[in-house]
Amino acid sequence: MTFADTHRDTKGANVKSAPSGMALLVLPACLLVLGLLIGPMLLMFRISLNRFSPTQLMIEAFSFENYARAAADPYYQEVILTTLGMALLCTALTLIIAFPAAYWVGRLQSSWKSLVVIATLFPLVVGNVVRSAGWMALFTRDGLINAVLLKVHVISEPLTLMYTPKAVVFGIIAVVLPYMILTIASVIESIPRDLEDAAANLGASALQTFWRVILPLSAPGVAAGSILVFVLCMNTYATAVLLGGPRFKMMAPAIFDQFVRGNNWPMGAALAFMLLALTMSFTIVGSIAFARRYRVR
Amino acid sequence: MISRRHLLSAGAGAATMLVPGVPIARAESSQVVVGTWGGDYGQLLSDLIDKPLLAPKGVEVLQDVANADPRKTKLLAERQSRRGSMDVACLSDTDHYVVATTNVFEAVDAAKIPRLDKVFPELRTDTAIPHIYSALVILYNENQVKTPPTSWADLWDPKWRGRVGLADILYSWNTLAAALANGGGVSNLDPAEQKLMELRSLDAKIYPSNEALAAGLKSEEVWLTAMWLARGFMWKKAGIPLSHVVPKEGAASIVFEASVPRNARNKDGGFAYLDAMLDAKAQIAFADKMGYVPTVSDAVLPEDLAKQVSLSEADRARLLKPDYKYQSERSQRTLDFWNKQFKG
Repeated sequence: MTFADTHRDTKGANVKSAPSGMALLVLPACLLVLGLLIGPMLLMFRISLNRFSPTQLMIEAFSFENYARAAADPYYQEVILTTLGMALLCTALTLIIAFPAAYWVGRLQSSWKSLVVIATLFPLVVGNVVRSAGWMALFTRDGLINAVLLKVHVISEPLTLMYTPKAVVFGIIAVVLPYMILTIASVIESIPRDLEDAAANLGASALQTFWRVILPLSAPGVAAGSILVFVLCMNTYATAVLLGGPRFKMMAPAIFDQFVRGNNWPMGAALAFMLLALTMSFTIVGSIAFARRYRVR
Repeated sequence: MISRRHLLSAGAGAATMLVPGVPIARAESSQVVVGTWGGDYGQLLSDLIDKPLLAPKGVEVLQDVANADPRKTKLLAERQSRRGSMDVACLSDTDHYVVATTNVFEAVDAAKIPRLDKVFPELRTDTAIPHIYSALVILYNENQVKTPPTSWADLWDPKWRGRVGLADILYSWNTLAAALANGGGVSNLDPAEQKLMELRSLDAKIYPSNEALAAGLKSEEVWLTAMWLARGFMWKKAGIPLSHVVPKEGAASIVFEASVPRNARNKDGGFAYLDAMLDAKAQIAFADKMGYVPTVSDAVLPEDLAKQVSLSEADRARLLKPDYKYQSERSQRTLDFWNKQFKG
């Protein structure tokens, strides 16, 4: 198959449309999503309009009071800003760290490639909590990092590494990195190597080739990976709790607090929908902006 | 070889599980599902109650292991269901009160639980049996704290700046300790707010769990805390150099209780389980392993163990039972203050 054929296929110009009956194949997946996602979400939305009572726990109502209270509360404003800030920072750092690795994986021609992909996925095999527990063993006052630094006399007092935003950033990036690497790598694989050679022949430096050829052509992967990672970061729970500690504020732990510790389901549901709305808004705006900049379709 | 008949019956079984409203087949007479904490507590239930007391009667016990918060949420979420997922639900007394107000639990009486008449009268409730109990005391590092504190207010001494550690999950109890330090009590937590802000300015450290706090005490990052006497007993056994004092303002009690939900599938099995939890030998073993005090009069602890886990007569007189109603009505304010002001 020539490059031209591949190009046509990816654009879909020469691909025959599927028989109409084939659309039924998506039915089981649609029913599953409707039943297990949309249904509970509608129920939660209804709950978010109820009122909380410490004795009756929930009183039937139809009011947006919980949303208004949360939006006006400086505490939740700070929680939302922290969540957004962390998600944007972690997405940007993950992209910067992941891109070179993704390029290498995407361009790898060796028979070891499948092993490399499995190795990239390996951190996902370990659960979030277990992974964070490992980070805790490193970051605690008497953890490995402090022990080594004390031993080699780099520090005289143990550093405070646990329960800091830095620890959360490290933890989140470790969780989401494989998603970004594999998403971008799959797009880089489909960019013909000839284009880089052509750019080099025309005198482009490596940096120019990256900026003018590779980055625009890998834009769909960068956009998809960034959206995926951003959504995961916005919803971080275990890493924020275990590495950020009780004083670190992100939305998912705040929602858990309302549902489980406060038994305030209406407020918890309202916060959950605010998080959902915020994540979707940023995702949609980001996708549109990205598509305009790089003409991604 | 799998026959067509076997395949069809397996398929029908699977289909039954997927159709809403069709009950999942369960051997109701011989299986009891116990919603409990994991770790030492779950293991001891298994070793001291499930295997020696119920297995010989042909009762198979399945543990539904989770922390109290998810269990509480599950009970509340399932309260409209005809068939719940638990036959026994273990909760602390304060959590039990909150859930019981929604009419989730069956009443307990001696007809269903013969050993109920051995329970100390002050620990009885209408819908739960008290399994074990302890008291909130001050734990301190005996190597670092040369003059032991005598009151909750002593934790606010500036000389302990940065050395007081608190467990986040015990926020309501820490709030009570702060209230007691400032003239409040179990029915008046308002004075806690000023005191908590003072503690914040004294760089009190907050740990996400009891285990994280234990690590902080072990590494001597912090020297003093408010904690259950039973936990202190276990941590001492684990080699952390701790002693305890019962503060002069009083020590709040915590009772770990167990109940049978109204929608339990095996209520008889559930009540049989509650009766077994009151077994004297099992309760003494719980005290020996976990430091929690028995709730039945015929479980007499060996003198040496009693000294470590029980309160003296004078201290017992200062034991404070929570005002459940007040505490539950104020719960949102207590949580909000803890999250937004103290931790904020």
